[in-house]
Amino acid sequence: MKTILDETKELASSTCNRYLDEAKKQGRGIIGYFCSYMPEEIIHAAGFVPYRMRAVESKGTTRADAYYSSINCTFVKRCFDKALNGDFAFLDGVIFVNGCDHARRMYDNWRYSKINPSFLYMFFAPHVIREAAYEYFVMECEKLKKAIEENFNISITDKALKESIRLYNEKRRLLAEIYSLRKKKDVPIKASELLGVMLAITAVPVEKAIEILSDVKKFLDGRVVSEPGDLRLFISGGCIEEMDHLELIENCGSVIVADNICMGTRHFLDDVKEGEYPLKAIADRYLSHLSCPRIMNDFDRRFDYLLSVKNEYGIDGAIIEKLKFCDLWGGEIYNYRVEAKKKSVPLLAMERELYGGGAGQIKTRVQAFLEKLRNKQVTDEGLVQAAGSDYKPKI
Amino acid sequence: MKTNPKPLEYLKWSANFLKLGYYITALPRFSYWGMKLVRPLYVKGENFLNRKLRWSLLTLGAGILPPEEIKAFRYAVKVFSDNMNNAMNADKIGKPVVWVEWILSNEIVGAFDALPFNPETLNVFGNMSGQDIPPQLIEEAESRGFAPEYCSAIKLTAGAYMLGQTPQPTAIIAGSHPCDTNVSGYQGISRLTGAPVFYFDAPYWRNDDSFNYYEKNMWDLVAFLEKSLHQKINWDKLREIVDNENKFNFYLHEICEMMRATPCPSTMISPLFAWVVRELAIGDPNGTEMTRILHGVVKNRYEKGIGVVKKENIRVIWWNPPIAFFTYVFKWMEDEFGAVVVKDFIGDVQVPQVDTSSEKTMIHDLARNHLFLAMARQCHGPVEFITQELEKAIDEYSPDCLIFAGHAGCKHGWGVIGIIKDLLKKRGLPSLFMNMDIMDQRHATEDDIKRWITEFFRSNGFA
Repeated sequence: MKTILDETKELASSTCNRYLDEAKKQGRGIIGYFCSYMPEEIIHAAGFVPYRMRAVESKGTTRADAYYSSINCTFVKRCFDKALNGDFAFLDGVIFVNGCDHARRMYDNWRYSKINPSFLYMFFAPHVIREAAYEYFVMECEKLKKAIEENFNISITDKALKESIRLYNEKRRLLAEIYSLRKKKDVPIKASELLGVMLAITAVPVEKAIEILSDVKKFLDGRVVSEPGDLRLFISGGCIEEMDHLELIENCGSVIVADNICMGTRHFLDDVKEGEYPLKAIADRYLSHLSCPRIMNDFDRRFDYLLSVKNEYGIDGAIIEKLKFCDLWGGEIYNYRVEAKKKSVPLLAMERELYGGGAGQIKTRVQAFLEKLRNKQVTDEGLVQAAGSDYKPKI
Repeated sequence: MKTNPKPLEYLKWSANFLKLGYYITALPRFSYWGMKLVRPLYVKGENFLNRKLRWSLLTLGAGILPPEEIKAFRYAVKVFSDNMNNAMNADKIGKPVVWVEWILSNEIVGAFDALPFNPETLNVFGNMSGQDIPPQLIEEAESRGFAPEYCSAIKLTAGAYMLGQTPQPTAIIAGSHPCDTNVSGYQGISRLTGAPVFYFDAPYWRNDDSFNYYEKNMWDLVAFLEKSLHQKINWDKLREIVDNENKFNFYLHEICEMMRATPCPSTMISPLFAWVVRELAIGDPNGTEMTRILHGVVKNRYEKGIGVVKKENIRVIWWNPPIAFFTYVFKWMEDEFGAVVVKDFIGDVQVPQVDTSSEKTMIHDLARNHLFLAMARQCHGPVEFITQELEKAIDEYSPDCLIFAGHAGCKHGWGVIGIIKDLLKKRGLPSLFMNMDIMDQRHATEDDIKRWITEFFRSNGFA
């Protein structure tokens, strides 16, 4: 019998799905967006379904290569290639964010190539967290609201925004509850499965997402997927949307129990405050949520998050990943290495291409890391240095 | 294997040699002939005899840069030497060193009792100690975990600090533009140096809201420096700096405008030399004097209809930053092919003047000024910031071709390469796209670049 996780996996594996088709039939438009800094509530309050852009089902980068170069990231090129092939034809608009250099250039290339939809919008998110940035971000949210209103000839009321905030907070709370189930010794859901859930709920109307999450929560009651000897990992990185990839890591004898990834904790941590001026509340939440390295003055908080969940979730080690040519996560790896060593957090840093294969290589690296962690468990703490050359196993 | 240098060794050599250069170029004609006579000893290539002189002599024109320009460059040499010496002797002078990242501007730091230092100084001047020095610094940074995909500018900064070649900062000023390397790199530099960092956040658009946001950044910077340096800003000092800067920008703007003329009255190395002055010590009276003299030289040629080369054969637009290890490329093209770079990405000055009538007007205008600095103006927003400038250059500078110095670090630039290529094709402008790293000759060497340019000129019938 098909379980809810089978259904989310199915939804996660396709670009479009029946819930989007239904929404379309009911007259609801769909607006695609990139990046965790884009407030879904504004799109939803306008009567559209916010759709997180993805590269699933991508067949390559052939057509996108004519616009980009060989040193641009595979996520962006794959997404754009899909756009050029008409795979996003069901969208009524796309909102881009200056998340990174590669992604912000997609706004240029998309406009230039004159492919649908016609509503293409660049939403600016500050790179710092401070007073002036908050004020500017509120203004950016107001501008986005106005742009949607003008383009689609609609009105986004405060009432609608407040209702959207309520719904999205509910979604976030459910996600937080599901994520926190992984604190248990017996973990009820694998990260690979959870990634499927995340991909599914960011591609359906939020009302359906809440339904799915409630079902997932019920389904997980009493479920155990971890093995007694599994090591518990934290994963951090930018674009991770391949369930297979996380499955590969977990199949090496681990279970990923916490993260700081776009399609993970960054998506749901912290609510939007209800009862305030909605756009200010939205701006506050989206700028101050668990950050990624595009926020320049927030590394300490990012690393503190890892430290805070380390004990709470019983984490044995951390994996940090980047896609090739990603400056942001490449730099983050350096910072993680420095701090992980100071705080004795075992760390594995990996580089890969999105849907780029290399499973054997990744598997070997993960296996070696896990072996090292297991050795560490029977070794004096003082002899172990995170990913250091002076590591000497006692056995 | 190359041994690690002594503390500040490369910076000291650069500062001392520049100091010597300052005295020698007091006699520009003598310097000109001196460099011309010994050309065979250094022009062809670097060897163990000339390695500590070659790059400097080439950058100073290698005996083909007229004495009038050398006379002006002398003031820049003084700016460079003073800036490096002051930063190295900060402890003795008793002033804090503030690092200001390379595409920002350091007027505000100058208004404090502090020494602005550009941590990317050795990206360019490291070549004075031999062209293998920048790769050594890059390798150091990469071997200690700095991201290999970063623009080499930041890897050089990190490597130089790791090898003790740059002074310890009391505070650092960095920014979110022009690229992700900046967004990310100074987070690492902050961990490395332990110094507090102020991050400018560049807006995406170019409108009043964006300018106002950047202006708030400027006010936040003043507050940051007052807190970090335990001092108050000296507004009179800022006014003096900005007054000098206004003149500096006026002269350069005029030079760039005159470069539209056929034949082109200036070599591109002059605005680029001035750009390095801006990077190190904008507002220094010596820098302003340099541009004043250059302006006079170029204006004289312009009015007489004389070009910087005897026979101007090819007019070139150079897109992307100049090649740090091969600054001589401009003079080489002039000498070899009569090819003059008439407009480029970095040397072209398009900044608005700053109203010095009050504190508010200065900060207000400096914010706008900074967003029009080279690389900031082209890179912080949509592709139109690039394409409009390119189209304007094609319309106004009568170019025969374009050379795209495709720097490996500029991923956002490569991210719109299709659009740029299409534009150039539509405009019918023959273009050369080079894959290289402007600070690391291991990607493409001086000889590679010469060969590509030669083949490009020949295959298009220019030479």
